[in-house]
Amino acid sequence: MSDTPRLVQFVVRRPILRTSIILAIFAVLAIFHLEVNLSRLGDAASNLVVIAGEAWPPDFSILTKRASWAYPPCELQTDWMCSPAVLGMTQTLEIAFLATIFGMAISLPLAVAAATNLSPPLLAQVVRQVLAALRVLPSLIWALIFVILVGIGPLAGVLAMTMYTVGYLGKLQYEALEGVSREPLEVARAMGLPRWQVARFFAIPEAANSLISQMLFMFEYNVRHGSVVGLVGAGGIGWYMQYYLEPFKLYDRVLALIIVMYLVVIAIDQISLRVRSQFIEEHEQIRRPKWRGAFVPWVESSDD
Amino acid sequence: MSLEPILSIRSAEIGFKDVSPLLEGVNLEIKSGEIVGIIGRSGIGKTTLIRTIAGLVRPLLGEVLFSGGNISHSTRGSIGLIPQRLGLVQHQTVGYNVLIGALPKSNWFQSIFSLPSVEMREATRKAISAVGLADKTLVSVNLLSGGQQRRVAIARAMVQNPQLLLADECLGELDTETALEIIGLLRAIADEQGTAILIVDHNPVRARTFCDRVLQLRGRTIIPLNEGEQEEASSLPQYRGDE
Repeated sequence: MSDTPRLVQFVVRRPILRTSIILAIFAVLAIFHLEVNLSRLGDAASNLVVIAGEAWPPDFSILTKRASWAYPPCELQTDWMCSPAVLGMTQTLEIAFLATIFGMAISLPLAVAAATNLSPPLLAQVVRQVLAALRVLPSLIWALIFVILVGIGPLAGVLAMTMYTVGYLGKLQYEALEGVSREPLEVARAMGLPRWQVARFFAIPEAANSLISQMLFMFEYNVRHGSVVGLVGAGGIGWYMQYYLEPFKLYDRVLALIIVMYLVVIAIDQISLRVRSQFIEEHEQIRRPKWRGAFVPWVESSDD
Repeated sequence: MSLEPILSIRSAEIGFKDVSPLLEGVNLEIKSGEIVGIIGRSGIGKTTLIRTIAGLVRPLLGEVLFSGGNISHSTRGSIGLIPQRLGLVQHQTVGYNVLIGALPKSNWFQSIFSLPSVEMREATRKAISAVGLADKTLVSVNLLSGGQQRRVAIARAMVQNPQLLLADECLGELDTETALEIIGLLRAIADEQGTAILIVDHNPVRARTFCDRVLQLRGRTIIPLNEGEQEEASSLPQYRGDE
């Protein structure tokens, strides 16, 4: 070590510095390999100024004017109820809601089959691979696939988000089920109960807090990503954004839609966070989970 | 008390694969209505013995016979288990935790749709009353004291009405009065339902007061606890049933 240059010794002895240098080398290699032209950043800045000029002020007529071109067509008489913002946001929420419900209904039995403490090891491994395969594709790619299969519209969005929900929620659920205490399951097995009864009456109720919390988290996630899948024609507010972007380039209306979406997502995050906090284990006197409490929090609080 | 043994263990070697066995040459018979105590120092294999009898761990050698046959689906509902930490389903009510004792008697329709029969609900109500928790039926088990939680586990066993009940240190860390109540409930299960009870207790003096027989795990085998050893063991924390 005494022959080694002092600078090398200095670096080798400092793990954070050592790791930073290695990461920096990889970053530079990746930039060269991808042929990233940093001079384009200058063009991007000038483009940003142009777009910002066209987008500001946001055009909130998207909240009042009827979208006669809406798909599916809006039959209501009131103009604001058929406006792009209301229709788009309603569709996004509906897509997220249906995808969460369908995803939960499919993922829970799969999660039971994937949990090593509830299922035979071979079955658990096979189901885990299926869930992993569903997670490989992001929701946007699932949306593209279903737009090709069932055509443009919210159905493609629901199917795409459901597929992704099954993969993602299934993983969260089997991890929650594997985390339940061993003893209630042993009581059930000593009774001679079949596997499905062990899961139905012991493991799922024991993990109910986590399962409800995860379902609400998934709904939040689906609202955010339900906006993105619309960009490829799978319904929701993203579809209305895409309509204004191409070919009209009405950036002021797109900005107004983004602001509306941001406010709705923030509101849902806050509501979901409050409801989920009731099911997160922080102290012994945790509330007993009730499914209706997940949707109607004031019923939950008035019961206890 | 029937003369036919409910549980027979013959020349069994108990432990885990690839590790030297915890117990060797285990021979044990338990008859209906009998309460048998098991004592022994920590880590000697008491819990593993209980889990082996419950069918959760396979014996390395020998036989564990239940009513003369192997433990299988035909013994469904005949073995009840109260583990060390009771095995209650957390965040669920007392009623739920007691009612699940009736699951072995339910048919698939009742199970799938959670529709317990009138008999199951009545048995649950009676068991909860018998353990003195009638006013706690809809209370979450997390909100109960340790003694109350043990009573819930016993009520679950009463509803299950097994032929053999395995209780792993269910008297541990209880005050004398509560321990007496739990012992009274176990005695009632044995006498009224004819259930054979195998109970692990760390206190040999207390075990002598309510068990029909007390066995001890010593070395790697199981032997009866004789009177002399009981006196020797009386240096341990005392349990006075008449207090």
